[in-house]
Amino acid sequence: MSEVYANGLRFHVQRLPAPADRPALRTPVVFLHGLVLDNLSSFYYTLAAPIARAGSEVVLYDQRGHGRTERPRTGYDPDTAVADLAALLKACDVATPVHLVGNSFGGLIALHAARTRPDLVASLVLIEGQCLDLPADSEPYAGGWVEEMANTLNLAALGLESHPGPDRLPTGPARKAARLRAGADALLNGTTLIEDVTLLRAPDPDELADLACPVLALYGELSELAAPARRLAALLADCTLTVLPGVAHTVLREATAPVLDAVLDWLPRHESADTRAGVGR
Amino acid sequence: MSADPHADRILAEVAGMLAEIVGEELLIAAEITADSGFDDDLALESIEFVALAGRLQERYGDRVDFIAFLADLEIEEIMAMTVGRLVNHIAACTRSEAVGGTR
Repeated sequence: MSEVYANGLRFHVQRLPAPADRPALRTPVVFLHGLVLDNLSSFYYTLAAPIARAGSEVVLYDQRGHGRTERPRTGYDPDTAVADLAALLKACDVATPVHLVGNSFGGLIALHAARTRPDLVASLVLIEGQCLDLPADSEPYAGGWVEEMANTLNLAALGLESHPGPDRLPTGPARKAARLRAGADALLNGTTLIEDVTLLRAPDPDELADLACPVLALYGELSELAAPARRLAALLADCTLTVLPGVAHTVLREATAPVLDAVLDWLPRHESADTRAGVGR
Repeated sequence: MSADPHADRILAEVAGMLAEIVGEELLIAAEITADSGFDDDLALESIEFVALAGRLQERYGDRVDFIAFLADLEIEEIMAMTVGRLVNHIAACTRSEAVGGTR
């Protein structure tokens, strides 16, 4: 079923089985999407189907408050996101470490999972993952991306609050924009998400250096995160950094083919050593 | 829709699933026909199409390989699709089992 109860919430989950006629890879692939306007569809339409076809069990879910998952008032911090992930994997009978593929804020959650629940993680794929807040003297945003992100979200929240949408949802082409707007409004003005983002702190460099799991980091050449990604890659014990030319933060959407090639190459070379059964059917 | 009862049955089923996923507002908005575009006419959100594909996968299992079907399409192509194109794909994949069983 596409509804899974975990950690006290109803999650929208989509699972794609590996094809029966192909030797399945042992390690399931779990996708973590980005913040506020994102949901599992950005992976569903890009990487998920080709990765399942290549032999991996795939699990996608909408994070709390996003997409078709329930939207509680609290719990938008990385600890709760990892608790959601762990509970969801258990509810889906996934008993083996998984590859975590995180886009943008999903990358931050993936990295947090690898640090706090290494038993869950076989490898990380960070696609423009917001994962580091090490300031460099030569760069703008002295407050780091946490401050930048909180400011952006606060501005968006104020805008949504001061320009309320229609009482009734319009039909036709205007419907989609109205629904997107209503979802963002509910998340930014009706939950602790902005507060939780404001409280984020960068991981300690020593902690990152201790991270044992292999990491594939895919960043856009023109992204603000390209420089922090280089520092992250230098700190991590086992990190392969690929900078994709000509693209900014929207790497998943605009450089889907090279991202897919890199992930398809990565997965079979980083199978979990854990031989317990993978995703239950 | 046509003189194809097999496809008509699938269309009715898809329309029922869409109404469940989107809710009453869709029924008010437009009648769902084979010519309805998921994006243009139904203004379906991409996550709602995912929910539809998930239900169809549960309903038809291995008989209709949605993973392969979707893997070959760009998101723009998926959203630009008409209900009829999806229905025809399902009908083609399930046609053999309907032979003899249809009336």
